[in-house]
Amino acid sequence: MTARPTHIGAQVARVEDDRLLSGGARFAADIALPGMVEAAFYRSPLPHARIEGVAIGDALGIPGVSGPFTAADMTDVSPFPDFDEHARPVGIFPLARERVRYAGAPIAVVVADDRYRAEDACDLLEVDLDPLDPVVTTDAALAPGAPLLFPDWPDNVVIDFPVDNPDANAEFEGRMAVSGRYEVGRHTGVPMETRGVVAEFREGRLTVWSSTQFPHIARTMLSYCLPLDENDIRVIVPDVGGGFGVKAEFYPEEVTIPWLSMRLGRPVRWIEDRREHLLATCHARDLVLDIEAAVDEDGRFRAVRGMAIQDLGAAEMYPFGYSPAFTAIGHITGPYRIPHQSVGLVAVATSKTPCGAYRGFGIPEATFAIERLMDKAADRLGIGRNEIRRRNLIGQDDIPYTTSAGAIVDSGSHREAFEETVRVTAERVAHWRAVLGDDPGLRVGSGVVNYIEGVTPTYFMTTGHWTAFDSCSVRVNPDGTAVVSVGVSTSGQGLESMLTTLTAEALGVRRDQVRVVMGDTDRTPYGLGSWGSRSTNVASGALRIASDLLLEKATRIAAHLLEASPDDIEAHDGALSVRGSPGASVTWQQVATAANIRTIDLPDGVDPGLEAAATYEPPGIEHVPDEYGRVNAAATYTNASHAAVVSVDTGTGQVRTLEYIVAHDCGTVINPQIVRGQVVGGVAQGIGGALLEQLHYDEWGNPLSTSFLDYHLPGATEIPAMRVLHFESPAPAMPWGAKGAGEAGIIGPAPAIAAAVEDALTGTGIAEITRTPITAPYVLSLLPAR
Amino acid sequence: MKPVPEPTGSLAVSMAVNGRAVERTVDSRRLLADLLRDDLRLTGTHLGCEHGVCGACTVLVDGQPVRSCLMLAVQADGCEVTTVEGITPEDGLSPMQQAFKDHHGLQCGFCTPGFLMTLAGVEPEDHPDEESVRELLAGNLCRCTGYEGIVDAVMAAWDRSG
Repeated sequence: MTARPTHIGAQVARVEDDRLLSGGARFAADIALPGMVEAAFYRSPLPHARIEGVAIGDALGIPGVSGPFTAADMTDVSPFPDFDEHARPVGIFPLARERVRYAGAPIAVVVADDRYRAEDACDLLEVDLDPLDPVVTTDAALAPGAPLLFPDWPDNVVIDFPVDNPDANAEFEGRMAVSGRYEVGRHTGVPMETRGVVAEFREGRLTVWSSTQFPHIARTMLSYCLPLDENDIRVIVPDVGGGFGVKAEFYPEEVTIPWLSMRLGRPVRWIEDRREHLLATCHARDLVLDIEAAVDEDGRFRAVRGMAIQDLGAAEMYPFGYSPAFTAIGHITGPYRIPHQSVGLVAVATSKTPCGAYRGFGIPEATFAIERLMDKAADRLGIGRNEIRRRNLIGQDDIPYTTSAGAIVDSGSHREAFEETVRVTAERVAHWRAVLGDDPGLRVGSGVVNYIEGVTPTYFMTTGHWTAFDSCSVRVNPDGTAVVSVGVSTSGQGLESMLTTLTAEALGVRRDQVRVVMGDTDRTPYGLGSWGSRSTNVASGALRIASDLLLEKATRIAAHLLEASPDDIEAHDGALSVRGSPGASVTWQQVATAANIRTIDLPDGVDPGLEAAATYEPPGIEHVPDEYGRVNAAATYTNASHAAVVSVDTGTGQVRTLEYIVAHDCGTVINPQIVRGQVVGGVAQGIGGALLEQLHYDEWGNPLSTSFLDYHLPGATEIPAMRVLHFESPAPAMPWGAKGAGEAGIIGPAPAIAAAVEDALTGTGIAEITRTPITAPYVLSLLPAR
Repeated sequence: MKPVPEPTGSLAVSMAVNGRAVERTVDSRRLLADLLRDDLRLTGTHLGCEHGVCGACTVLVDGQPVRSCLMLAVQADGCEVTTVEGITPEDGLSPMQQAFKDHHGLQCGFCTPGFLMTLAGVEPEDHPDEESVRELLAGNLCRCTGYEGIVDAVMAAWDRSG
């Protein structure tokens, strides 16, 4: 490596921003095609019912309506394949066949010239549903004689993965056991842009615009479901208004709308409305971790055992909704030296919206459980809550450390980040007690928690298919500009900017010479998309290999043009120069012109053209757990310590987050502004889940949170100022040492706020906080009756 | 089968949108947002909830911030309507837009036009400190940024010390 200036760590403006700020971006809902019609879905009003009939009824009188179309019309459509041999097959079909298992399930679709008339038509359809008993909770679903959601199954269990590890059990002999049942509520990503699909079938070729996080996987799934070759399908991702995991699922509408465009011979657009979003886009969390720990008298944890119980809703979601529970098991010991674990899982179908992916993906659940258990053990032993963590945290001497879940922690700043967080938090608590000390009804408290997060994970345990690779191709045009084309895609995180910077770094071109192409299956190499805090890592891994190949060739051409040795050439700032001879330089344009146009100028043995392609599978990842659930499922692991400072109103139970402190280590920071934005935005979502957000159902399984009046997202007055402390422990095996920052922020808030609320209410006799959201009524319910 | 009553009549409306005269005949139930987005192809105005909570669809009507998902197009008859396209200079960005860019006040950018239009319709002196800026912004939801960059951008654009 040379000592030339680097783009890594530089604060640079995002290339996406101008179009987003000016109204010039193009989201799915902005796409309009000649002759396009709009679709609306008739969705089940009942949580569980048999479909007896669908008739057009009075909708026949609405001009220009086509439909209703139902599953019976989709004779040329195949159900989603079931890829996981260990789980019961759910056979997802784009429109409900025979039975609906959640309120919001799509039963029929109509199209009309505009959405108004399409919705009019839906209102007038005659749909005959025979109600069946709902199954609202996992307890009800697991009870003997429970109504069956899939009638040919013996029970409602989708996957059962018991673990009984004798090494863990032995640790409980003669030791104190601390136990708890920790429940993270049902909440989800809720991007500000809902989902949208636009499809056009022309001359035997299907083009689908979809707000998906994984265009290539979407195309593969479409080819499984529709009678088309993959070659005949093009999936394009327009600008996407946030994903957060919920758009890393493949949905029924992504088949239905393309199928309609084929059936009708017209372009069809469907834009989800917010009510549909809250009913039919995946829900998440709703995981119970019922665990106990064997703890030494000095507070050292020796083992954790128990069960993860995942409420899957109707289970009709691909990728599978039980994968976060596996990830939770994989993170149950956090960054602590806990030698053994024995945690299994059972995932259960209920008559609610299917659960799927949401930022954090099981790690917030695991962190809530183990951090709550740490607090409980500390309180019981009379050890400080920070002190017990200090005694259990892994340190530099332990690294590389293999957790009891099989995760290989290859780097990190676990203790350093924790101690700094503790120090800053103490200062801030003192500040806030001084500010608010005069109010006898307000009490201030704090809580510090730690976690590790596996990033760039295998997709195999999530999909039953794909692993972790991604891809890149790089081409230098004759004028010296570079096109980089990748299999990942963006949903608004700033990936275009990240890859612009990394391409400039890798090739030595200027940032303004780079164009990034993503989110188009016709123009990008096959890749797995954006999820799992992976995009920068996997794309840059492939980019690095491809650009090294390209650079080697460019160097030979430049050396030939400069009559120098290739060993002396270095690329920087749009030029290739002889090291130490400032005057001896050719531009990328000169090199690329030789490669593409003036091929007569090429040296002997160098072929024309200036492009290269590569794939990258991150090293060291395992894809299948052993019998005790152990697997190193991620390429590397970030770490962080979080602290919440809260006030609690002792009269109302109202919790306010006064300030939030994060010490975060995601390895090498490529763009500090983007990393901070990811961390702060993730914390904000975590605070929402900790205090506000809950997808409520009544006892009959009717959804109660179907608008933003009932589902509360945090606003600017609920999110406090944040202090972000940066640590940088580069990942030894990753390109540029980066680790991934997309999901981390959301992991800490729930346990940090829970601990802070208990701390604030010390001495009141408050019972343990065991679930989220931590609403005011819940806090009051934990206080002794007055 | 009984005849379906036509659920909508239509009316002629005229308004000025971003300074240009617009005359259209629209269904009386048509939302202002749909007129702007689908009929006039001004797609910078976004729909995030269609029930008036998220604020992504905010535009100015006679200078006042309005949720275009809660206003009928016919109600804007005779009004001046301004969208994000209308506050964007021919070249470059407005000072507030530039501040959003400088302070990472956006990620996916879907909510951003709504924030910009809310800010375009208020007097800075009515929101003198960070607390009152946050109060002002509480009518617009953002799911990406945690509001930090947005608040920083407003404080900078309005020449406030952080």
